[in-house]
Amino acid sequence: MSSTKWLSQLRRKIRAWIRRHSYSFFSSLGVLLKHKIGTLMTVLVLGIAMFLPLGLYITLENLDDMNLRQDEWSAVTVFFKPGVTQDEVGRLAEELEKRMQPEIVRIISPEEGMADFREASGFGDSLEMLEENPLPWVMQVSPKPGSTEQVEHGVEELTAYLQSVDSVEVTQFDYKWLQRLGRMMELGEAAVSILIFLFGVAVVTVVANTIRLDVASHAEEIEILALVGAGNAFVRQPFLYSGLWYGVIGALLAIVLLFLTILYLDRPLGLLLETYGTVYDMRGLGVYNSLWVLLGGGFLGWLGAWISVQRYLRLLRVGGRLGRR
Amino acid sequence: MIKFERVSKLYPGGSRALADVSFSIERGSMVFLTGHSGAGKSTLLRLVMMLERASRGQVIVNGRNLSTAPDRVAPMVRRNTGMIFQDHKLLRDKTVADNVGLPLLIAGLKYSDIRKRVRAALDKVGLLDKENAWPLTLSGGEQQRVGIARAIVAMPPLLLADEPTGNLDPNLSRELFSLFEHVSEQGVTVLIASHDLNLIRQMRKRVLVLSAGRLADDIPASDDP
Repeated sequence: MSSTKWLSQLRRKIRAWIRRHSYSFFSSLGVLLKHKIGTLMTVLVLGIAMFLPLGLYITLENLDDMNLRQDEWSAVTVFFKPGVTQDEVGRLAEELEKRMQPEIVRIISPEEGMADFREASGFGDSLEMLEENPLPWVMQVSPKPGSTEQVEHGVEELTAYLQSVDSVEVTQFDYKWLQRLGRMMELGEAAVSILIFLFGVAVVTVVANTIRLDVASHAEEIEILALVGAGNAFVRQPFLYSGLWYGVIGALLAIVLLFLTILYLDRPLGLLLETYGTVYDMRGLGVYNSLWVLLGGGFLGWLGAWISVQRYLRLLRVGGRLGRR
Repeated sequence: MIKFERVSKLYPGGSRALADVSFSIERGSMVFLTGHSGAGKSTLLRLVMMLERASRGQVIVNGRNLSTAPDRVAPMVRRNTGMIFQDHKLLRDKTVADNVGLPLLIAGLKYSDIRKRVRAALDKVGLLDKENAWPLTLSGGEQQRVGIARAIVAMPPLLLADEPTGNLDPNLSRELFSLFEHVSEQGVTVLIASHDLNLIRQMRKRVLVLSAGRLADDIPASDDP
């Protein structure tokens, strides 16, 4: 066979392939639109199933964001030895800036400390009786911001260094708290993974079941198609596209639900955080993640349809029950 | 075109549908297949369409040995074979034109070409005016002709019919058979399973007689009118 003939044959085959696919693509959409109520119910179930893990994921993302923005929460407090001068404190601060680029270095003089203490403790005048200020110089240092893990690591490094400095009496850090937070986030992430897996299975199952009924109600049509020479691919295509549509529309619904939820929760959450003196804007899914969700939903739907149709196609093999009464 | 070499077919459970059947059919000829119900007519057609596989022996259709061919060539074999069923096997939720165009849709033809060829096929069976009708609004004979139009629309070299006149009155049956004769005169091999002996005799074509799964008789075509 000459190469031009081979090429033109290939081109004809590709064109036929595209025509068959465009037929399946539109006919499957037509079938979904024809059975509006059934489609709506399936899509609703899929949307909610995908919304739940997504919602938890977004909650965690926001929590992570919120906590690590609170720089002072992850600050190490350094108490200097008595008699350490302001110059020494300033030098250490400069040294720290150079070594570890901390997020914040705040120096509290004994006078400021006393003022704070007076206000906070309510001892007020009785403190005047002290002959000299017993408070040392204090410094608050927080490591570079980042993920919980990175912050944890930064704190460790910072503490190790500070403890090796002569002028430092003691460093204090509510380590447990950060650790707990870190572990809690890890736990949450693990829960999200499990939820994504379980609800993924649920999505596949729901689509598989829907398509199974769909296939069963088209049994006669499938048989006739096979009798007049349709291959497995042609029989399969409309159902695979249906599954894809279910998945994509379900994912779209989940994204919309998530968006509405965030919109709805933003104000009450803002009011709550205001009482802590914090302003925070809730983070949504974002365009990039939304695209992934759509793609993932479409894939799961397609997979569910494939499982169902594949089972049925086995019956259509040569010597199967095809065309037999 | 069709060649059976010592073909036997046993169904699971042990019932024997065909036993040691051998014959061959020339390209472009028209042959009847007859026998009582249960004699193996349908099984023979199913073997030619690759709906079943022979338990023993060779089934060779259009130069291809279907006994050894892999499953995946079955759709291609069926696309090269027009099949007409007693119960028509039309899609109720598709118009006559869409039903007839089905094999072309599967082949991936352009819509304009499909339309043209569907109209040509419907014209051949005299149903051009029913293009947009629904199958269930047609009479039995008309539905059968839609089935024939679908079987010939892709111009396959082989046409099979399983009891095509099963539910039709004698006049309609005769019309249908002359339609098949017309198709066969254009070079298509036609094999018709039927137990309508009177009609078969009138057609004066070659007749294969099956009896309890064996080829009991092979009556050649008679040329005298």
